[in-house]
Amino acid sequence: MGKFAWRNLLTRPMRTALALIGLSIPILGVLGLFSLSNGLRDMVGDTLSQIEGVMVIRENVPSPVFSTLPAELADKIRAIPGVRAAAPEVWGIAPNVEGQGMLMRSVGGLMTKKGPSSLLDQTVISGQDIAAHANLKSAVFPRALEAKGEGRFLNEGDKGQPNIVISRKIARDFPNADGSPRTVGDTLRIADADYTIVGLYETGSMLLDVVILMDIDEARKALKMPKELVSAIYVEANSPPGYEAVSAAIEANEPGVDARNMNEVQADFGTLMGQVDKLLMMTVSLALIVGIVGIVNTMLMSTTERFVEFGVLRTIGWSQANILGLVTLESAYLGLLSGLVGCALAWLGTAAANQFIGGGMRLGLSPQSLIVGVGLSIVMGILGGLYPAWRAARMVPMEAIRLGSH
Amino acid sequence: MIDVVNVWKSYKSGTRPVEALRGISCHIERGRFAFIVGPSGSGKSTLLYMLGAVDRPTKGEILVEGEDLVKMSESAQNDYRREKVGFIFQSFNLISNLSAIDNVLIPFLPRGVTAEQRERAVTLLTQVGLGDRLDHRPYQLSGGEQQRVAIARALVKQPVLVLADEPTGELDSKTGDEIYKILRTMQQAYQATLVVVTHDRRFITPRDLVLEIQDGHLIAGPTDALAPHCPSHPQAEPNPSAVKAGE
Repeated sequence: MGKFAWRNLLTRPMRTALALIGLSIPILGVLGLFSLSNGLRDMVGDTLSQIEGVMVIRENVPSPVFSTLPAELADKIRAIPGVRAAAPEVWGIAPNVEGQGMLMRSVGGLMTKKGPSSLLDQTVISGQDIAAHANLKSAVFPRALEAKGEGRFLNEGDKGQPNIVISRKIARDFPNADGSPRTVGDTLRIADADYTIVGLYETGSMLLDVVILMDIDEARKALKMPKELVSAIYVEANSPPGYEAVSAAIEANEPGVDARNMNEVQADFGTLMGQVDKLLMMTVSLALIVGIVGIVNTMLMSTTERFVEFGVLRTIGWSQANILGLVTLESAYLGLLSGLVGCALAWLGTAAANQFIGGGMRLGLSPQSLIVGVGLSIVMGILGGLYPAWRAARMVPMEAIRLGSH
Repeated sequence: MIDVVNVWKSYKSGTRPVEALRGISCHIERGRFAFIVGPSGSGKSTLLYMLGAVDRPTKGEILVEGEDLVKMSESAQNDYRREKVGFIFQSFNLISNLSAIDNVLIPFLPRGVTAEQRERAVTLLTQVGLGDRLDHRPYQLSGGEQQRVAIARALVKQPVLVLADEPTGELDSKTGDEIYKILRTMQQAYQATLVVVTHDRRFITPRDLVLEIQDGHLIAGPTDALAPHCPSHPQAEPNPSAVKAGE
């Protein structure tokens, strides 16, 4: 029976091929979306795992880049029991780097494949209170520089000096005139001033490797931020009481601020990804419906053309269940083939995409997701084949024979 | 072996009621070569397919080997068609993407083909002269050859009854002669009862049973073709609309 069903598909190769292409695309879409979702989870998870402290920002803003707080808040936070260190920071999107504005950096990057390559891939400035940051134990960038970087991190001598620490990615995105990546000792023009690179770091995260680090006052100048404001305060807690308790204490003492510990951020991100997953499931459902309609259409055409054949088979002793089984098997094979093609395309697609994206973002397809892809496709095939199969099975053999005989 | 008792068949063609069969009764002995003849639309094919349990009468009984086809469940009718009846169609009706041997074996496909069944199919195809064309597809065979494959397909399940609907209707007269020669040889070899619907009376021999149908009535047949309880039987009550015995 399986061989017969297989031959029936091969008998109409063009239709089978077209149906196969039509059905494999939803599977490709499903797997592509899942690989993107997994890639995002992994990237954010890896990034957050590098950060331990509490980030204090203004309430109801998404990130430090959009936050402003009074500078004296740092002293108030230091006075809260359990706080080990509090380091003020100034954050902002770099206004103009090497003559490229924000929009030009994104569009230019997309066009030339050089420089930042998306609106999300924006170079930002982080001004640090160098003395306060020196007291931190969990600061990400100094550790990243020590592990994989070169040069040195900011120190007391950099206060009031136009010295910066940049990522290797930024060094590549804004190369020297000869095309070589910038290195320690080179300068980088930000807004209207030249800054000397004293260190290069590499975290491996797309979200972190966009930061230019400098003294807080230099950053205020570059971002045109008044001296009495900061963007965020990075807080380390003693253990005990631990980050969650300190975070709660800050929010209780200072209304209007949001003290986010990384567990909280991870939970928020988990909630966000949950919403993304729901959206994905809706997209997947739509894709599956499209696929099922495609199979119904293909199988209905096929069964209508084979009216006489089914009548003859019923006449020579095939039962309705046999006909139902044959047509369902054919549509399941179509689903299986579509699933295999969809998985192959998704695998090739993610491999190709990984050549172009970096920064800790990797699209990946686990064997489980490939199995789910093929399984979904087979289920899609079976569901799509049921109605045409039922229709074929209940054909009246007498009518079919008459069609064939006269 | 086959008893058809007062069988009626009516159906609607659009809104118009059609009486396809009107009280047909007859008896066909085991191993006979029987012809059902009559003009187009007389009801002969309807009767043939009722003998094959493909269609049910509106009224009456059809007994084959003692089993009443009319009272059979759908499933029992499937079993009957699968195990006891072989069909031969005017248009051959072979499956285009299967080879000759696979077409012969198709009745067994849902339950799996055994080696013995395959061997039998090869023997049958050899007997009908297609031993060297087992793997040919229908489009690679002539009309006569396709009908020979259909004959092998009908006989492969060793049926008690073979039903043929205009088996030479789409063949030239020379090929038609060959097909009838094969049918007669195979019928004798396999001792099956063969019922053939045809317009062409030149294949009928004096030894054959002939049932003539017109407007749904059995108007002619040898008296032994008529069951004693048939209204048209000479010993039964006279039925002026049905009785015309002797061919």
